[in-house]
Amino acid sequence: MAESPLDVLLKGNSGRTTRGLLRIIILATIAAAAVSSRLFSVIRFESIIHEFDPWFNFRATKYLVSHGFESFWDWFDDRTWHPLGRVTGGTLYPGLMVTSGVIYHVLRFLTIPVDIRNICVLLAPGFSGLTALAMYFLTREMTTSPSAGLLAAAFMGIVPGYISRSVAGSYDNEAIAIFLLVFTFFLWIKAVKNGSIMWGSLAALFYGYMVSAWGGYVFITNLIPLHVFVLLCMGRYSSRIYISYTTWYALGTLASMQIPFVGFLPIRNSDHMSALGVFGLIQLVAFADFVRGFIPGKHFQRLLTTMIIVVFGIAFVGLVVLTVSGVIAPWSGRFYSLWDTGYAKIHIPIIASVSEHQPTAWPAFFFDLNFLIWLFPAGVYMCFRDLKDEHVFVIIYSVLASYFAGVMVRLMLTLTPIVCVAAALALSTILDTYVFAKNGPNPRAKANEDNSDGLRSTRKPNVGVTSYLSKAVMTSSVVIYLLLFVAHCTWVTSNAYSSPSVVLASRLPDGSQHIIDDYREAYYWLRQNTEHNAKIMSWWDYGYQIGGMADRPTLVDNNTWNNTHIATVGKAMSSREEVSYPILRQHDVDYVLVVFGGLLGYSGDDINKFLWMVRIAEGIWPDEVKERDFFTARGEYRVDDGATPTMRNSLMYKMSYYNFNSLFGPGQAVDRVRGSRLPAEGPQLNTLEEAFTSENWIIRIYKVKDLDNLGRDHNNAVAFDKGHKRKRATKRKGPRVLRTE
Amino acid sequence: MPSASSSAPAASSSSLSSGPKTLTQNSSIYDIAHTVWQQYLATTPQRTMLLDAFMGFLVLVGGVQFVYCVVGGNYPFNAFLSGFCAAVGQFVLTASLRMQTSSAATSSSSSSTGGAKGKGGKKVVKGDAGEEGSGISAERAFADYVFGSLILHFFCINFIN
Amino acid sequence: MRWSLSSLFLFGFLAVVHALSSSGNRLLVVLEDGSEKDLYSTFWSDLEARGYDLVFESPKSDKLSLFDLGERAYDHLLLLPPRSKGFGPSLSPKNIVDFMNKDGNVLLALSGKSTTPSAVSSLLLELDLHLATDRSSVVVDHFNYDTLSAAEKHDVLLLQRPGPLRPDTKAFFDGEGVLALPRAAPHTLGDHALIAPILRAPATAYSYNPKEDLSAGEDVWATGSQLALVSAMQTRASSRFTLLGSVESLQDKWFSATVKAPNGKETGTANQDFAKQLTAWTFKETGVLKVGKIEHHLAKDDLTAEDLNPTIYRIKNETVFSIEISEYSHDRYIPFEVPANDALQLEFTMLSPFHRLKLEPTARTENSTIYSTQFTVPDQHGIFSFRVNYKRPFLTNIEEKHEVTVRHFAHNEYPRSWKISGGWVWIAGLWSVIGGFLAFVFVWLYSEPASAKVKKTQ
Repeated sequence: MAESPLDVLLKGNSGRTTRGLLRIIILATIAAAAVSSRLFSVIRFESIIHEFDPWFNFRATKYLVSHGFESFWDWFDDRTWHPLGRVTGGTLYPGLMVTSGVIYHVLRFLTIPVDIRNICVLLAPGFSGLTALAMYFLTREMTTSPSAGLLAAAFMGIVPGYISRSVAGSYDNEAIAIFLLVFTFFLWIKAVKNGSIMWGSLAALFYGYMVSAWGGYVFITNLIPLHVFVLLCMGRYSSRIYISYTTWYALGTLASMQIPFVGFLPIRNSDHMSALGVFGLIQLVAFADFVRGFIPGKHFQRLLTTMIIVVFGIAFVGLVVLTVSGVIAPWSGRFYSLWDTGYAKIHIPIIASVSEHQPTAWPAFFFDLNFLIWLFPAGVYMCFRDLKDEHVFVIIYSVLASYFAGVMVRLMLTLTPIVCVAAALALSTILDTYVFAKNGPNPRAKANEDNSDGLRSTRKPNVGVTSYLSKAVMTSSVVIYLLLFVAHCTWVTSNAYSSPSVVLASRLPDGSQHIIDDYREAYYWLRQNTEHNAKIMSWWDYGYQIGGMADRPTLVDNNTWNNTHIATVGKAMSSREEVSYPILRQHDVDYVLVVFGGLLGYSGDDINKFLWMVRIAEGIWPDEVKERDFFTARGEYRVDDGATPTMRNSLMYKMSYYNFNSLFGPGQAVDRVRGSRLPAEGPQLNTLEEAFTSENWIIRIYKVKDLDNLGRDHNNAVAFDKGHKRKRATKRKGPRVLRTE
Repeated sequence: MPSASSSAPAASSSSLSSGPKTLTQNSSIYDIAHTVWQQYLATTPQRTMLLDAFMGFLVLVGGVQFVYCVVGGNYPFNAFLSGFCAAVGQFVLTASLRMQTSSAATSSSSSSTGGAKGKGGKKVVKGDAGEEGSGISAERAFADYVFGSLILHFFCINFIN
Repeated sequence: MRWSLSSLFLFGFLAVVHALSSSGNRLLVVLEDGSEKDLYSTFWSDLEARGYDLVFESPKSDKLSLFDLGERAYDHLLLLPPRSKGFGPSLSPKNIVDFMNKDGNVLLALSGKSTTPSAVSSLLLELDLHLATDRSSVVVDHFNYDTLSAAEKHDVLLLQRPGPLRPDTKAFFDGEGVLALPRAAPHTLGDHALIAPILRAPATAYSYNPKEDLSAGEDVWATGSQLALVSAMQTRASSRFTLLGSVESLQDKWFSATVKAPNGKETGTANQDFAKQLTAWTFKETGVLKVGKIEHHLAKDDLTAEDLNPTIYRIKNETVFSIEISEYSHDRYIPFEVPANDALQLEFTMLSPFHRLKLEPTARTENSTIYSTQFTVPDQHGIFSFRVNYKRPFLTNIEEKHEVTVRHFAHNEYPRSWKISGGWVWIAGLWSVIGGFLAFVFVWLYSEPASAKVKKTQ
């Protein structure tokens, strides 16, 4: 891919149309490469929806396709969050589902019958091709160098940071959101450059689409006002900025309020207040600017001072009053965790428990961005060199996104586009400088044809790099870097990001691939063997999958909207059976599902997630569940003989290790994840009975027993069934309680 | 704020030169405001005044709605929002149109000295969308304006349902 | 013709099933000593007259089994007190519990004459019925004994037949006459909702072990009315277990005996009636409730079949719920009447009840009563259930649970803006903006030439 921009430039002398054609061909190739590199998972495994959230999106899409848009809009989902239910139509970002629904119906209209699943699986790769195009346009706005856009498109197409969320089957909001993000920014830049209502309106429309697709729209909501604000501070107010910003804000806010999930947030939530503030500010600035047209500076300053004092006084008082009276919602928790990385850990374990909300590890930057990460600062520097409005945008974007990406792994995704832009800027400058120094006048002449006033960088005389040796060294090293980059991307994509995580792959000793399909085995068991309305309790990670694959109601799922409900499940999992059983009964639970990796050494199992359950439950019931009780006196988290009684009596522990001993010889049972030998006597379950255990024991399903028919508690009932004689229970201390009717 | 006082767009400076200067150094705020009003009446083209009248009307409509909201409560909140946002949105769109048309008028009349300045002038748009000329003509601005307004009205009507 | 034939057939069938238990007629009587069978001949013939197929087995018999191919082989089980250590392997406590779990009914009679085997005791323990520790006590009462037959030992108790257990329950065992309970083995009841005493000992009674010294009575186990003589246990699935303290009271001798209380006059016993009531209840001839149709729907006039029992409601819907209940009385179903002071209640529940409403009888058919109520669905969406949980002593448990979904308002079910008078201001505002825009566009286009003075007229 790296050579393609060179091709265009090598034909620099040919006509405009030829280069245009070539550019189109190259872009098409880039898009094709972007799509095809995301198909590893389909080839390796099958056309299957990946991971967790996509399963919900898939299910929602199926609902949309089969019930129509109206009922999707009003969808009340009674098969999740039992018994609360979820107003799904009003609490999701419908952009993704509607997009694939539209594609589905268009294809049907064109008499191309395609399974909705395949559309969902292939939506992300398809949109990544579009993202590459959008990236091309965005970069084109930044520089005159024609190669930069193509380079950026190519980078965007294959950079692992983006592929991680957009491989085939990764049917998630981000799949289309990144395209919308980039395209909205492109339209915004266009609007700022042209000062045109139309571009502003288009930006607002795409912003509205983005709002309908991803919660990350808040990033745009804050970035664009910040851009405007910085421009104002730099004294760069102009009518163009006024026009584009006010148009964007007025229309974009209205558009975003059409989404039921967003609703009145844009004027209530503090996350959106900066946009409103800048909107007000720019009105004032515009008015001041307008008034200044009529009077000399001295008087104007007096007028201005009065105005500023009055307006800011009113605004400040108003803001304080509104915040105190609660009209404007306080900052949301996820937002706090963006600023203070320790915040979530202390206050909101449910947010901290999600792996993608963890702070990013440093190697991840290199892993996801490879050599772009060190071209990135160079590119930002290039933007400083000729500091036009759009370059200010790039700089602000880079600074903000770098920070956020460092805070949360997930936000690496928002950093990736700007890294591609900046790196492409830097690399194209290098290439332009070194490759074309000899026929330097050519691109510049062309640039001057196209532009009435070119960039300062192109107008500057090239520093004399004329030696063929240095050219060759630089060019070849760049080419080598690009080749390495491509190799790295391919390797990362195929090895790290193409696993569906529903199906696990492992290598047998002879090197052949072995598919571990326990998840689907268990989910299909549920689908085939349980009643259609049987309620399944599991940790929330598996809620979407159970809903999608097993089609059974769940208590909690990955849409973690109700912390208390999740804490209830956590409490049921981490308490003794006697405590858990009433909870299970109250919530009509029929089956409990746990994930256990001890036999196979699968580390993402529930025992490893157990502490989060405990913490979340402790957040609600600090007196009943205590994290400390799950650690030994020396502060270790153990599952073997040294495990604390609380740990050993917890429902989760019992369910995980129930009957595990029977697989091994006496005293030989070993948990391969924790690497510890288990107690000789396995746990005993009274209120649950084992219903199903998958081939590799990854999924274990237990049936909740009904109340005892004779009114005994389950301990006694089980003991009786095992033939233990019951001790006379009348030896109680204290006075005998007489029975009265 | 310091930024706003340091930069003077070319478009407004040209109109400034043609206005009467009747102010003394130490006149009161009222005097200044009065002078501004005089200046405005004297220098604004009629057509722009039409725009301003419309904007004044919008401010009035928006203000009435806001006052009513404060006084009478905002029960159908979406209705209030869409009514109010319609006024505000229309206002800013009209303001944008005003800027575009008046700057287009001045740039055509006073030979566009602002175009030379790096940030003030419109840049040429290259590539696929390159059919635009430098600056935006009044017709184009008006078409944009209608486009934006129609979107605005659509959203508002949808929102008020 | 065919109709009359089939109705004839139906009548014939009805005649056959006349006076049958609601749950089958296969009754296994476990009797250790065949010679004792004749002592109870009136009792047996009473049962046979009511349509039971009596099968007599000795606990030692090899072919005795409660189950056949995993299913119950009998519907009811009548256990007379064993002589030996227990009932043997096929009637182990576990088997009997299994039998009850499969809806079999058990009547267990004990006797104070012999020591109760420990196997029986441990079975009773599972049901939370407790025997005295020595398992061989009899109830003695020096004020309510039969002066004719037990002038010395005072161990034939004379009791009034029991009335209703509580003011709000039905009486299944009441009537005129005196019961004679010779040599009753007493038991006490655990604190447990499934068991209910049918007949308690009088306040002056105490338990006494004739084989031990009287002086050893320092640890008094229970006295007075804490001692139960006849008790009933109903499992959650409504299979029934009755413990009768005195097997002798079922004998022919006591069915027709004449008794005399210390300061009363001679009367005949009511034992036969009482035995009939007791077996009728235990073997599900009385006190059996059956739930017929359960219907819920929106409260509106023109109901069609599709409107019945919808799976989804909306918040604030007016909803009608009705339940049809009949009661089995010896040979047929009759309309069930809730006792005075009691109420049949409907709960509308999600995690906890949002409504708990009294169901009123609204209609009556030949053999059932329809109870119903109307209410407004709460303003909370979720998965709710209609629950009727009616558990009373001696009546089979009604535990009905019907899940329905309560959804939120759909987007087009909110009042439109123009229906809210408060919104008119803003609608007017919006349309004035749009109107102003149109007027402006018109004027603008009309005044297209930049220097025109036309717009001055505005």
